[in-house]
Amino acid sequence: MKEAKKKKLEISSGPSTDGSISALGAFVVYLMSGLFLAVGFWLARYKFSVDLVSDPSLTLFLLWSVEFPVVVIIYSFLRKAPEKCSCSKAVGRSILGLISGALISALGAISLGAPVGVQYIPKTIHWSFLMSVFTFVPATAVLGASLTDWHRVFASMKPTGNVECMVLVPAYGAIIGGWFGAWPMPLDWERPWQEWPICVCYGAIGGYIVGQILSLCLMLFLRKDKNLKVA
Amino acid sequence: METHPKRINKWIPLSFLLIHSVAILIFTRGFLLTRTELPFHSTCSDASLSPCLSPNPPIHHSNSNQNQPKCWTKPVVDRVVIIVLDALRIDFLAPSAFFPEAKPWMDKLTVLQNLAFGNESSAKIFKAFADPPTTSLQRLKGLTTGGLPTFVDVGNSFGAPAIVEDNFINQLVLNGKRLVMMGDDTWTQLFPNQFQKSYPFPSFNVKDLDTVDNGCIEHLFPTLYKDDWDVLIAHFLGVDHAGHIFGVDSMPMINKLEQYNTVLERVVDILESQAGPGGVHENTMLIVMGDHGQTLNGDHGGGTAEEVETTMFAMSTMKHTPSVPPEFDTSSCKQDPEGKQICISSIEQLDFAATLSALLGISFPFGSIGHVNPELYALGSSSLNLDNTKQPAVKEWLKSYVNVLCVNAWQVKRYIDVYSNSSVVGFSSDDMSRISNLYSAAEHHWSNSVKHILMYNDGNEDSTNTSALKAQIAAYLKFFSSVAELARSKWTEFNLSLMITGFGILVISLILQSLAIVHGDNKPYAVSSGLSTGAAFTLFIVLIRACSFLSNSYILEEGKVANFLLATTGLIKLRYSVMRKTMRKEAFVFLAMVSVLRVSIDIGLTKQAATSQFMSSSPTWMLGLAPDHPALTYAIEIAPILSVAALICVLYVAIARTHSEGIWKYVTVGSMLSYFLIALLWASESKIFGFDGLLQVIGGRNIIPQTVYVIGLVQLFLLASAHMFCSGKDKNWGSRTVALVSACSSPVILLSGKQGSMLALAYLLAGYCIMRLEGVERRTKSDGQNKFSKLDSVCVVQWSLLSVCMFFASGHWCAFDGLRYGAAFVGFDEFVLIRQAILLTIETFGFSIILSVFGLPLLIPSHGEKRHQLFQMYMLYGVISATTVTATILCVTIHRRHLMVWGLFAPKFVFDVVGLILTDVLICLASAFYL
Repeated sequence: MKEAKKKKLEISSGPSTDGSISALGAFVVYLMSGLFLAVGFWLARYKFSVDLVSDPSLTLFLLWSVEFPVVVIIYSFLRKAPEKCSCSKAVGRSILGLISGALISALGAISLGAPVGVQYIPKTIHWSFLMSVFTFVPATAVLGASLTDWHRVFASMKPTGNVECMVLVPAYGAIIGGWFGAWPMPLDWERPWQEWPICVCYGAIGGYIVGQILSLCLMLFLRKDKNLKVA
Repeated sequence: METHPKRINKWIPLSFLLIHSVAILIFTRGFLLTRTELPFHSTCSDASLSPCLSPNPPIHHSNSNQNQPKCWTKPVVDRVVIIVLDALRIDFLAPSAFFPEAKPWMDKLTVLQNLAFGNESSAKIFKAFADPPTTSLQRLKGLTTGGLPTFVDVGNSFGAPAIVEDNFINQLVLNGKRLVMMGDDTWTQLFPNQFQKSYPFPSFNVKDLDTVDNGCIEHLFPTLYKDDWDVLIAHFLGVDHAGHIFGVDSMPMINKLEQYNTVLERVVDILESQAGPGGVHENTMLIVMGDHGQTLNGDHGGGTAEEVETTMFAMSTMKHTPSVPPEFDTSSCKQDPEGKQICISSIEQLDFAATLSALLGISFPFGSIGHVNPELYALGSSSLNLDNTKQPAVKEWLKSYVNVLCVNAWQVKRYIDVYSNSSVVGFSSDDMSRISNLYSAAEHHWSNSVKHILMYNDGNEDSTNTSALKAQIAAYLKFFSSVAELARSKWTEFNLSLMITGFGILVISLILQSLAIVHGDNKPYAVSSGLSTGAAFTLFIVLIRACSFLSNSYILEEGKVANFLLATTGLIKLRYSVMRKTMRKEAFVFLAMVSVLRVSIDIGLTKQAATSQFMSSSPTWMLGLAPDHPALTYAIEIAPILSVAALICVLYVAIARTHSEGIWKYVTVGSMLSYFLIALLWASESKIFGFDGLLQVIGGRNIIPQTVYVIGLVQLFLLASAHMFCSGKDKNWGSRTVALVSACSSPVILLSGKQGSMLALAYLLAGYCIMRLEGVERRTKSDGQNKFSKLDSVCVVQWSLLSVCMFFASGHWCAFDGLRYGAAFVGFDEFVLIRQAILLTIETFGFSIILSVFGLPLLIPSHGEKRHQLFQMYMLYGVISATTVTATILCVTIHRRHLMVWGLFAPKFVFDVVGLILTDVLICLASAFYL
């Protein structure tokens, strides 16, 4: 899969559109989003003295509500066609993206087997908001409602430029990480973190970070590629 | 390419069926230890057939003329109190001096230790050896039958756990003894009618440490004062549960042991206070025993030393027990901290039934292969001394013991002979002749010398007499030990080389099958990147599923795992369909159906958790509605009938669409009629529709199901004959498949009950989506309709996962209590083994194997080179099934000494193996029909 992705990334050597960003800039963006994720954890740990295991819903709520504004602000600056679309519009559409993304994540999780009991509803909701912050919110902020762009970036995996790569790879990383994070759940180790959605969250966050690193690497490779092609 | 070898295609599935059968047969011979339960019972009068002396030897005529009935042996104790402490480790009871290091849980049952090592010792502590499987149910069965229960005890106990073999409890009842039971309700499951009084308490809640124990204690003390019983059984569960939850080294465990100490102290006080002449407990034996041990984590079931070593304490309320001659003394002694010599003896649990039968003077259970333990027998034999004080106690005891052993040996030999003649898999002739030689040697010695010593006791030549008796006992013990050794090797030891051979053959067949698929792909256009990603993904999913069987947790939640993987394939397909901008609706419907199935699987899991000993029942989902809400009941009544109506519509559309002619059409119409009858049956069973009177009108509720079966059989017959007589002419693939699947589906839906029709509808929809999504990842707008006639492995994997999900969604799971025995009696009232077994098989594997194998051709796109592709699909389906079975077999081999081997892995193995053979057979039939 990874190779296929890379190949497709290499193939897509279209002209870089607006809102481009260097690898260094991407690194700074990732650093900030990672930092605020850490802030979310810190807030939960030391201000509310909860963590994912003891109170998943509250912790997840803190995580996504801290991360969401950061992601929205950063990616709104990187939005496509900034001359056509104001910053506030980008923020507005990313709020819509947050909600619809959460709905889609929740439905996907339920079809994969997430528990649907009454006591799990808040956890599932907050988890899907976090997933949405990782996946849909940056995409809506950057791409807006353009279906063709969405189709090109997410379905065909042909991102053009570094920004779309920054949206695409960590989003897939979070989904795949969450998928793998679900595997320890049925094991009979009787650990508290095996409950839904704790280990899926860890998996998603881990996958998100791996995706960020991977996209950084891709950007570096891609830039060399592009330079070659330009030359 | 149509000229590809047609003949061979039909033989390949058959050859794989044969290879799989051979591999499974070999593996099963090594793994599934089976024993045939014999229906025979011992009776008192049998003993006259033995060469032994009757229990009233002439010598005692003068002073034993009390007219109490005698059976095989002379009773030596009047009453027995058996206190079973579940999972009692040897180091809970034996003094810490016997172990390298003192642990906090040792030396808690001090009252028993003091009794056993006190000066006037009529009590003893034994190290008791249990035989695996060390689970409570199997152990209680072993203790009472005196045999070695295996995983599959072939017998008449079809479904019910009640013991039908002859056993100690049964013999007690036959001999007029009165039994009282309290505690673990496993006893009342095993012996539903034998107890005169019983106070059972539910044992399944492992987290509850006290209910069973408190109930036991509440009834134990009042009962001890009464005289309306002969044998009392009290089964405490606290230690077992504390071990399961907290482990051995924990405060709850120590508290439990201390509680037991006070309970036992009171029991002993009561017994001793009533032990005087004429008291209720003048000649009572108290036995405190564990049924098995446990590991430090509280697990048990396997055969490790910690699990099989348990303990037994025995005490007689009569003092002055004879000491056992040193030749037969098994005790091992240590110095206790104060320098006193303390000894514990050892006993096999196998010998428990025989010894207690001898003590109480009842006939031995027919299938017991244990022998009367000399030390335990000696503890109870103090009453012998009262009969005859002329002779030294040891000599008197020896005589009595040798006669008991004689009848015991005769009984064991009789069982071995009968078993070998009548069981499914008997003993080898070498073993039998060795045992017969040992027995005849012992018997020869008996009739030549010992019998005379016993009968004409002239009192002289004491030393030669004693040595002759001892030699006789030694000869018998040799016979017993060789019988026990043979039985253990037959019934408790796995044959690893057979298991590995079977596994190896399966692996080879997997490789061959994969080669058969790849060989078929040897075409110019087959090599493309699309196929290789699909194949890699297939391999990934199949391997993940196979690896998941290596853990017991994933086996327990197999339905959820399959559903998770199915949903994953669905999501991948969704992604591709969005990418290609086709079939998006189908992809969403597929995911919706998967979600429906997962809810159904969840319901099935809660049912499983209610009976499984390994799962905690956690209701993962709840409806806001109360279960008896009128709207809900109405929906439950009406939804199945609506689904049947929908199925009829689907069939109608299928007939109307394919302009097929002739027999296929009529067969499908027959299915519609069957569906209509099923809907009518369900409507008349419910109260809502006002069809209640219908069943009376048509004469009983069996008419409709039987009609459905007959229609199904006629349909199958028509299809088979049509295939035979008009083969070659008919090219209409789709209508043939529809006819066959619909003919099979009506009995399956009928047997599955009301959920069946809804599941069938979900299955149909999901299958339709799989078919539509077939090859979606390779489809591009440019290459249109031409190039995807090659095998799409992902859709076969989806189909196979879907069928696994259907197995779990229809409320089954891989355990024998997951079988729905009720389905075997749909349409029939009386029990005929073969007929009911067929119905049960159809119910169990109907959706997951029968329909899915026959329905596989529906997945083929409507063009391309069909015949060859179908063959490939069947091969691939077979490979997927065989891979999961191979993984199960590997897992069973690795975990053969695992705690859950009998509770979880072995049932899973049986279900998988039966499923694989059935799949292979059906693939043979299907390829004969379709190819």
